[in-house]
Amino acid sequence: MEITTSDLGLVARVAQLSKSYGSGATEVTALRDVSIGIRKGEFTAIMGPSGSGKSTLMHIMAGLDTPTSGRVWIGNTDISGLGDTELTMIRRRRVGFVFQAFNLVPTLDIEGNILLPFELDGRRPSPQERAWIDELVDSLGLRDRLRHRPHELSGGQQQRVAIARALGSRPELVFADEPTGNLDSRTGREVLSLLASATRSAGQSIAMVTHDPVAASYADRILFLADGAVVEDRGRSSAAEISSFMLEMEQAV
Amino acid sequence: MSSFSVREHVPSILVATLSSTFGVALLQGTDALATMIAADSTFGSSAAVAVALASVALVFIAIATYVGAVVTANTFSTIIAGRTRTIALLRLIGASARGQRAAVAREGLVVGVIGAAIGALLGTAATAGILGVASLAGVVPWLQYSFLEPVLAVPVVGVVLTTWIASWVGSRRVLTVSPMQAIGASHERSADSVAHRRGRNAAALVLVIIGVLLLGLGILAGLVSPAGVLIGVVGGMLSFTGVVLGAQVIMPRALRLVGRVLGGSASARLAAENAVRYPERSTRTTIGIVIGVTLITMFAVAGGTFQALFDRLLSGEEGAAEASATIDAVVAIFSVLIGFSALIAAVGLVNNLSLSVLQRTRELGLLRALGFTARQLRGMITAEGAQLTAAAVLVGLVLGFFYGWAGAQSLLALVTGSPSFVVPVVPPLLIVLLVMGAAVVTVVASIAPSRRATRVSPVTALAVE
Repeated sequence: MEITTSDLGLVARVAQLSKSYGSGATEVTALRDVSIGIRKGEFTAIMGPSGSGKSTLMHIMAGLDTPTSGRVWIGNTDISGLGDTELTMIRRRRVGFVFQAFNLVPTLDIEGNILLPFELDGRRPSPQERAWIDELVDSLGLRDRLRHRPHELSGGQQQRVAIARALGSRPELVFADEPTGNLDSRTGREVLSLLASATRSAGQSIAMVTHDPVAASYADRILFLADGAVVEDRGRSSAAEISSFMLEMEQAV
Repeated sequence: MSSFSVREHVPSILVATLSSTFGVALLQGTDALATMIAADSTFGSSAAVAVALASVALVFIAIATYVGAVVTANTFSTIIAGRTRTIALLRLIGASARGQRAAVAREGLVVGVIGAAIGALLGTAATAGILGVASLAGVVPWLQYSFLEPVLAVPVVGVVLTTWIASWVGSRRVLTVSPMQAIGASHERSADSVAHRRGRNAAALVLVIIGVLLLGLGILAGLVSPAGVLIGVVGGMLSFTGVVLGAQVIMPRALRLVGRVLGGSASARLAAENAVRYPERSTRTTIGIVIGVTLITMFAVAGGTFQALFDRLLSGEEGAAEASATIDAVVAIFSVLIGFSALIAAVGLVNNLSLSVLQRTRELGLLRALGFTARQLRGMITAEGAQLTAAAVLVGLVLGFFYGWAGAQSLLALVTGSPSFVVPVVPPLLIVLLVMGAAVVTVVASIAPSRRATRVSPVTALAVE
């Protein structure tokens, strides 16, 4: 019998994953033979310069894109062969997202945005879920913003709403794609602390894609990608250590 | 620098073509009718008949051209919304806002000229074709029909001018684009500014109040003399102008009301919000259909009421059947003529829904990422189309019913001998046709946008520029 993802203490993993776009002379390989696992209850950063394939890796792990070859699991579900509707259900029920920008639906108020994953599923939050969302709303300082529309909030507040939405349904894994890319450094640090504390206090597994060493320094584990392959896997590091590793990588090329 | 793209302007050219075709063909048709009447010796003053026919035709042409202009203004304002970044970039490198707006208006002029010219050719071809076939078949006499009356300039020039003005009105937003929007993270505008509309709304309210008072006066006068209907006509025109002017206040409310009926699912709720997201845009999208449905309903209700009354009074008497057939024919002709305006309005609705989906790619991508199925997305867009059409048809039905009854009441209160209440009759066929029409418009309007929306890949939609 095959070893499952959860047997390994993982919440998601990919095996021999490759992804290429186009064909023939214009073929571009974004990922080549990547095999990694995201550990349960950890805040993992996926780092790399632009063009390293880190965003593609996240998109495939999150069921937003499909692999060219290899296998992908969310929990114990192999999602590599799933169709559009099944992938949609995976995204809706089992993962959460925080994007760099345009995270929120402009026509819904803040509460509507936070509850959107439940709405999409056609259900109301259970009393326990309700209590958890209330806790999130309070700890993220959104209580008096619930009736506002996204455009009435600052960029940092909008990211907090996105975090509340991503954590609200207690998904197996939250994907954060450059969550501080559009924020000033102070607001960015606040957002990173919030993500880190979601892992520490609530055991939320998070995978964050970033090219910013400061952002990655908040993570428990850092995976480095270059040219579509994982080149380094290390534990918690300081921003300076991460920066110097990135520089070494550059110079090695 | 010219950013004229034919593809972008196809819907506006189509609208201008439809208006111009309709105007040219209708005037040529009425002129042919006048020629036939003049050739028939039993009629005396043929010149007066020709003028009367042309006048009636011009009223219908004015309605169609007005609806076309509203649609075009809306299309332009939606196109401008999509061009914000380009305009901001041009502003950044030194283009003036006024110059940018004038450039857009020039595009409008080109659209108007192209549409009017194609329409003049198509309209003439249609009239010539119909007259030719009808003459060959012996339905109409073989006469020397003229296709180049000076009056034809009215619809052709009218379409050019109204399209030009419409593009100017629709391009107002160019003035609000800031050069800063070209750089940095510009957030999508969330809503049209509805400020500075007080004057317009006040005027609309005054018109509606005076109009309704006159309608009431017409109904009272109708208890004494059928001439009361003349007061009512003035009242109807004033109040309806007020309604069109104040549509900005009325339509979003109607849309909200209909939106509530759609249900509580996520896609229905989002659709309901989307339909009122840009109140100005939705109002312009729906008002053309409101005008069409109001007028058709008014004629149908007045005609139906008329007929029911005559059936009762003249049952069994000679001529009852003929009177009834005449009323039917008049209502049918008027409905077809107004139906043309409704068709133009429907083109506007289809176009608006497509453009708004095109401009929402990123948001649709987000919804897909968060777990909206392709099916839910399609449902959402269809619901948006349904909401726009249903709100327009409902408002039109209510207004048309009221006007139709008011007209019948002031004209026919004395028909039975003593002043009495005239029971309004809603022809069931009208309801059936309107519901079917609304359904067809909704489906047609939703097909292309929902196909496009479901093809949106969340990854590309969310990619940061």
